[in-house]
Amino acid sequence: MNKKLIAVLLIIGFLLTLGLTGCQKAEEKQDGGKTEEKYPSQDITVIIPFTAGGASDVQARIVEKYFKEEFGVNMIITYKEGAGGEVGFTELAKSKTDGYVIGGLNVPHIILQPLARETEFNIDSFAYIGQMVNDPQLVAVLKDSKYNTLQELIDDAKANPGRITLGNVGTFSGHHIASLNFMNLTGTEFTLIPYKGSADQIVALQGGHVNAIMGNLNDVMRDMDKYKILGITTDERHYLAPEVPTFKELGLDMTQGITRLFAAPKDIDPARLARLKEGFEKIAKNPEYLKDMEKIGQPEEWKDGEKVYADLKKEVETATKLLEEYDLLDKK
Amino acid sequence: MLADFFIGFQNALHPMNILIMSLALAGGIAIGTLPGLSATMGVALLVPLTFGMDPATGLLMLGAMYTGAIYGGANSAILINTPGTPSAVCTTFDGYPLTKQGKADEALFTALVSSVIGGIIGTIFLLVATQPLALVSLKFGSPEYFWMAIFGLTIISSLSEGNMIKGLLGGVLGLLLATIGIDPVTGHSRFIFDYRPLIGGITLIPAMIGFFSFAQVLTLVDENQKYLAEYSPNKGVIGKVFGHMLKFSKKNLLRSSLIGTFVGILPGAGGNVASFVAYNEAKRWSKNPETFGKGEIEGVVASESSNNATVSSSLIPLLSLGIPGSPVAAVLLGGLLIHGLQPGAKLFIQTGDIAYTFIIGLIVANLLMLFIGFLGMRLFAQVLNVPSHYIATIVIVLSVIGSYAIRNNLFDIVIMIVCGIVGFITLKVGFEPGPLVLGLILGTLAEEGFSLSLLMAKASGSMFGTFVARPISAFLIFMCIMAIVSPIYVRVKKSRKNKLENA
Repeated sequence: MNKKLIAVLLIIGFLLTLGLTGCQKAEEKQDGGKTEEKYPSQDITVIIPFTAGGASDVQARIVEKYFKEEFGVNMIITYKEGAGGEVGFTELAKSKTDGYVIGGLNVPHIILQPLARETEFNIDSFAYIGQMVNDPQLVAVLKDSKYNTLQELIDDAKANPGRITLGNVGTFSGHHIASLNFMNLTGTEFTLIPYKGSADQIVALQGGHVNAIMGNLNDVMRDMDKYKILGITTDERHYLAPEVPTFKELGLDMTQGITRLFAAPKDIDPARLARLKEGFEKIAKNPEYLKDMEKIGQPEEWKDGEKVYADLKKEVETATKLLEEYDLLDKK
Repeated sequence: MLADFFIGFQNALHPMNILIMSLALAGGIAIGTLPGLSATMGVALLVPLTFGMDPATGLLMLGAMYTGAIYGGANSAILINTPGTPSAVCTTFDGYPLTKQGKADEALFTALVSSVIGGIIGTIFLLVATQPLALVSLKFGSPEYFWMAIFGLTIISSLSEGNMIKGLLGGVLGLLLATIGIDPVTGHSRFIFDYRPLIGGITLIPAMIGFFSFAQVLTLVDENQKYLAEYSPNKGVIGKVFGHMLKFSKKNLLRSSLIGTFVGILPGAGGNVASFVAYNEAKRWSKNPETFGKGEIEGVVASESSNNATVSSSLIPLLSLGIPGSPVAAVLLGGLLIHGLQPGAKLFIQTGDIAYTFIIGLIVANLLMLFIGFLGMRLFAQVLNVPSHYIATIVIVLSVIGSYAIRNNLFDIVIMIVCGIVGFITLKVGFEPGPLVLGLILGTLAEEGFSLSLLMAKASGSMFGTFVARPISAFLIFMCIMAIVSPIYVRVKKSRKNKLENA
């Protein structure tokens, strides 16, 4: 090796040390927003913890359309994907609290990940702006499946414990917790198959590789005529699928969905949080926005930040109990 | 349908659309050529631009960008041994040796023509066989993905001929790296050694940029040569390339394009897997397999035609089933939805004119690429007249930007640099990065396929029924066995023949 190369390697080594220490301590918390006459006066960054073009991104893009009109500044979407959203959630929890960084959060991801493993955030790391989407969970089978009602599926699962497969997306995900809840309530045992993404799950269902799926409304509604939706986990019949019976009607007390929220880091200035809440609520109720949401097939449901937080607390309790029951809690 | 087809034809040839496609192609080729900037990123960047456009035009722009970017990866793979996109990894194997031999323009033009032909063949399948191919993609369950990954891993043996132990070690290292992060079944973190940033795992692109681009820079600095390779434009390169391809490459082109088309329809496998498989098959069926890896033009043909064939075929599950079969298709799905188009079979029924405009537009885009790519090629080849210390600097900057931009994650830069140093050192002791990157690509696919199949087997109560007694699985197992046994058979036969002759 010649001298030049050694010099280059040394420089790289030095940079690497810098980088490694930088990563761990990156973006330490700063003090809450300094008082300033006008907020927002610069563009607001929105962290989306999933890939560009994913469902969370598409929804955020719709919000982006109305953002400037409402806040007078641009909304800059940055993607921090990885580990089922954990990378992005962590990033938001550690972001500056001046109100210029907010992010999209997904429930129950932010509840379950801290229960499943050690994480650098939990539901108390955020100040909630509001919920935009509630995509309910449902149980679906193929059109030509032998099951015609949820009860038939449950009966068969009771008779053949562990023999019926139920497709999920991921472990410690909304699908997973909904499946556990479903099995717990009905006293059944399915074999849960955790697919990598909802596309893989839908392929598995359409290809006949799983008996049934616990899926989201958004994933099946594009091709409703290919499936039988046996039941949906909402309180009342859903406006996008009015013919599908709810779990409640079928005697199962279970409401579960994947919800999309917007939130800021916890220590944001309350006045700025209030401004964000007001603006997002206005966007969420804008008829044009609602029309766009219907186009992309995402079930919208606005919920105020305070209510979101109160519900999250309850959900953490139920989820903890459920995971304890199935012995899945991370024993720290 | 026929009416929609003709409307599509007209729309695709509309001057405005041709102009927009040309611009998107040029942008795509540039993004593809720059190491680190990937096709997904390019398409995602353009999506907001389509909001104000007519849906068909927007889709054409995205499609042209995608086509250009997948082809563009070949330019940097050939000229500076750094694949611009993961799909171009195999192009480096023979492309760079060709550059070293002073045949850069020949390799570049071959890559362009192969890409165009692969792209057109893939698009023809998208046009005429969308529904049946989509049904085939549905037949692929977890066991099939597992066997396909295993079959893919057998490619290590042909990538590392004469160097088997090192090849296998590299492949295993790749598989191990792929396990870092979150366990796909239990959801717990593993092998992160309490270092939080590792939770997201080692992703392919930063690792690939490290092993190829960064390691290549270190090699350049180490070699201390003024220029990468001798280069002066060869006269009559067009005629030479066309002549060669017409005479020798027909079978290879067709085979590789079909492999690309088929692999592309599978959600979960993309251009990178396709090009490895096509490269391997080209070598297997070649009369002189020993020339592969040393500047065999057919290697470039195989890699480039197959990866561009995946561009259109990866859209098959999206357009017919509404299921995005690749990261780029997922971005396109977002684009479709925002325009209020419903992907899936309804796309052809309700908005047939748009669907056909898009598909025919892809063919037009491929033809346009022949011209735009040719103009670009001349320009890119000038890189060889730039002193290598400038190139090294530029590639380092691009490597850092590229690995950061893929997930906007500072830690990916660290991964890239570490992989680069490891890659450089291992290259010095005779490890090629190919098997390692292959292990990294296939590791997650194999693991997920295996563990989900185990769950399926548990539910059905039959290991044999889940893993073996499925037609596609059985076929893939047969292919794996052939891939392992046939070289041994050939060798034994050869040595016997030698003995007989010597006797």
